[in-house]
Amino acid sequence: MAAPAAAPARRRRRHTVCMVSDFFYPNMGGVESHVYQLSQCLVSRGHKVVVVTHAYGARRGVRYVTRGLKVYYLPLRVMYNESTATTLFHSLPLLRYIFVRERVAVVHAHSSFSAMAHDALFHAKTMGLRTVFTDHSLFGFADVSSVLTNKLLAVSLCDTNHIICVSYTSKENTVLRAALDPRIVSVIPNAVDPTDFTPDPSRRDESTVTVVVVSRLVYRKGIDLLGGIIPELCQKYPDLHFLVGGEGPKRIVLEEVRERYQLHDRVRLLGALEHQDVRNVLVQGHIFLNTSLTEAFCMAIVEAASCGLQVVSTRVGGIPEVLPEDLIILCEPSVKSLCDGLEKAIAQLRSGTLPSPETIHNKVKTFYTWRNVAERTEKVYEKVADEVVLSMSERINRLISHCGPVTGFIFAFFAVLNFLFLLFLRWMTPDSSIDVAIDATGPKGAWTKQCFPGKKEKVKEVLNS
Amino acid sequence: MAENQRTGAPLALRRRHHSASCRELAVRAPRLQLRALSTLTSAVWLAAYGLFVLCENSMVLSAAIFITLIGLIVYLHFVKVDQESLLIIGSLGIQVTSSYASGKESTTFIEMSQVKDVVINEAIHMQKIIYYLCILIRDPQDPQGVSEVVPLFQSSKPRLDCLIEVYKSCQEILQQRETAPQSSEIK
Repeated sequence: MAAPAAAPARRRRRHTVCMVSDFFYPNMGGVESHVYQLSQCLVSRGHKVVVVTHAYGARRGVRYVTRGLKVYYLPLRVMYNESTATTLFHSLPLLRYIFVRERVAVVHAHSSFSAMAHDALFHAKTMGLRTVFTDHSLFGFADVSSVLTNKLLAVSLCDTNHIICVSYTSKENTVLRAALDPRIVSVIPNAVDPTDFTPDPSRRDESTVTVVVVSRLVYRKGIDLLGGIIPELCQKYPDLHFLVGGEGPKRIVLEEVRERYQLHDRVRLLGALEHQDVRNVLVQGHIFLNTSLTEAFCMAIVEAASCGLQVVSTRVGGIPEVLPEDLIILCEPSVKSLCDGLEKAIAQLRSGTLPSPETIHNKVKTFYTWRNVAERTEKVYEKVADEVVLSMSERINRLISHCGPVTGFIFAFFAVLNFLFLLFLRWMTPDSSIDVAIDATGPKGAWTKQCFPGKKEKVKEVLNS
Repeated sequence: MAENQRTGAPLALRRRHHSASCRELAVRAPRLQLRALSTLTSAVWLAAYGLFVLCENSMVLSAAIFITLIGLIVYLHFVKVDQESLLIIGSLGIQVTSSYASGKESTTFIEMSQVKDVVINEAIHMQKIIYYLCILIRDPQDPQGVSEVVPLFQSSKPRLDCLIEVYKSCQEILQQRETAPQSSEIK
């Protein structure tokens, strides 16, 4: 019913994708919104998508969200920071059941912090499904915890079909960390919803110059640099104001600075912001300052530029790739260089050489759209669908040759155990005795475009036919 | 009165149309297999005999006999469900009966005015994700809300094709109720 309308002579293949991540709504954050928005765009492009995550409090079982996107909240124990514990085995029965009943072809795992994503990759490879992994963060190489996570990542990714990173810097980082072939790593940046971040020049106070900072107040975001910049520039420019949104352990640094230099009327600390309030803070400023020390792909500067602000940022990680040179002033991560950058921005603002917020917004809004992200991800699925899945013996060889003698052997042993467990489960409940789920999305989707009233009728129709 | 049989694996669905607005749907589970029963019994008895040889106390043997007997009675009386049936009468309500292997029956009746709808839902059960049929009970305070969900066929857990059959039958009768709510009451 929906198929002839949605397929005007396009001969695209429809994929059945299962997104797996520990992080999904109602938890809030970058990975969560990435998974949600990407799934929504893929659904509207005619693919079948299901999301698998762990239970959040009373929210467990099977739920449907907008456009019939099906979300499985599995009752697995949460260990640390909303990430589940991993034993590599205990989640196999449930995940296998889902993969079989939804007829999943591609398993797409998100975030290297998510144990469930790695488990799902492991099981999907045992079951012979195609696997894609998206990495959302940068890591170091030096300390003990990064050495360990890098080793695990290498094990998890060495036989994954394709890996997606959010920026070229992040790609470089992942390739080095997990010792991968760069040819199987693609770069697909994040996106912002430009309709959420529109400029509103009337909200600005034109008698002053306002610098906005929106970030978590943690060491990684360079808040100590901010603490050095504020007094220096406030002495130089009496009409300069700072607006800081966000919360974190480094808030004390900013409070000390404010106290010592008597800047209570000029430095406002807003505390933690809800995502929908970010735009209201951004539009009050003229200049956006980002002092991050490491960043895979900085969403904050895209959001700020979309609101029409001039962006001043440190030249670290993936930031130089994000915006073109005329929209951003890049500085070294030092107080001196950042002050110079801010002074340059203030001079441009005073002389009126900055482009108007509307023009910046119209320019930025074409850069990062979810539609574009979905199209590029689709190409990855297309490519992966043609690849052959490694057989069990090849996979074991790959693990042993790729991950070092000790780790390789241990994980090859685990892979064999996992395979035996899968055989046992197949004997207990054969695939033929698992009911195929009724598709909510995809080519034979039972979910109509309008929301609730139409939905029930449509499902009834499917059941009756 | 129409009667037909639909066998899917070991479960059997029997439909009986008593009249246009009255239907009975029964899911019958396979009977207790004599082979399974004798295997289990002999396993318990052999284990008891082994223990007896080791500790030479005849109490073990009599305990084993009692355990098997009591276990069998409890199993037949409280666990093993032979048949679960659903009787829908358009003007009255829905009666859910489960008959145990010992002959015990437990019956619940839900008045038609309380029934909001009958739907198929999905749930995570043990290490599986299954479809099940349930009756939505109308909330007396709020006519749009649902106060309770009564799952049906809990012990036999029929598969989706069987559930769809039952669902369709239920919906036919529920729709009659919606189109002519008064006519049946006059009779």
